[in-house]
Amino acid sequence: MYWSHQVKRVFLWLGIVALIGGAAFGMIKLAGRTPASQTALLANAVSASDQIRGNKDGKVVLVEYSDFQCPACKIFYSFLKNIEGKHGDKIQFVYRNFPLSQHTNAAIMAQAAEAAGKQGKFWEMHDMIFENQDAWANQKSADAEKTAVSYAQSLGLNIDQFKKDMNSQEIKTKIENDYKGGIKSGVNATPTFFLNGKKLPPPTSYGDFENTIVQAINANP
Amino acid sequence: MEILRTQSSKLSTPIHKGSVWAFVVISFLGFLDATFLTAEHYLGPLLGCPIFGGCDKVLISPYSAVGGIPVALFGAVYYLTIFILGIAYFDTGRARVLKLAVSLTPLGLIASLWFLYLQLFVIKALCFYCLLSLVTSTLLFILGLLMRSRLGADRA
Repeated sequence: MYWSHQVKRVFLWLGIVALIGGAAFGMIKLAGRTPASQTALLANAVSASDQIRGNKDGKVVLVEYSDFQCPACKIFYSFLKNIEGKHGDKIQFVYRNFPLSQHTNAAIMAQAAEAAGKQGKFWEMHDMIFENQDAWANQKSADAEKTAVSYAQSLGLNIDQFKKDMNSQEIKTKIENDYKGGIKSGVNATPTFFLNGKKLPPPTSYGDFENTIVQAINANP
Repeated sequence: MEILRTQSSKLSTPIHKGSVWAFVVISFLGFLDATFLTAEHYLGPLLGCPIFGGCDKVLISPYSAVGGIPVALFGAVYYLTIFILGIAYFDTGRARVLKLAVSLTPLGLIASLWFLYLQLFVIKALCFYCLLSLVTSTLLFILGLLMRSRLGADRA
């Protein structure tokens, strides 16, 4: 009687351990799943109108569709900075605008970056906008515009020209074309990366992202 | 409803077996939720902002981890502890074990309310799995309150 009770107890706890282990394993498999359908290709080839940094003759081309107000884009901004520091001489980094409608200040900042680009300081403005994302992300649109102008001042831009460019149809059309090109390429979230024309699945970590890029560098010596 | 009458020396006041079962099942659901979030933290894709819908702002915010450890992992440990204590109560019938589980439930509720505050007023975005954890921790707290009165009466 006593032993039968003890055996039951052992089976109960073995069952519980198996249940916990199985549940944890199931959740780990679920979280580590690879997103499907990642075969999209970049519709619009990189051209002179694109914002490019790194090695403009590099054989590895990384095109990013990004939104200045997207928190994940800010994280990838720091990832890209690291990668640029290590492998910048081998990669062309291309930034394309994909401002999402739910981010009320994303388009303003895209206009600001492109306007700075007209004066040769796109990337300086791009960095400043991402570095200070928390400061302007929740501002009212008019205040966000003033913030962008203050960044332009600190970069030593011609402010009158900057303000004019920022609201010009030319720049608004460029951003719209970036966005439409993204839609044509199957972009449905930011950031989305295309490595040598192929859409990358969402990376799971910085290491995963860097590995993918290093593999492309090794494959294109 | 079936009443769980444990060995009289351990617990004289009847506790509804259904309540204890609910306690165990809910803690297991909470464990699944928190384990998924923990695994997502370490293994899941770094999801960005979809064209339609909110960003994955909560899970990538600095509040999602303390000292590099995802807060979901603390949640998983919390739910697992309650689950094991619940099963241990079924196994041994010891009121002390159930009392310990019940005494932990306010911790879960307070943590979940703190995360709700962070989501609403600091991060300004909501996370589905975090809200699910708020539901499980609240239910555990309420069940804990109901059982506490019976467990408390047992002390007399």
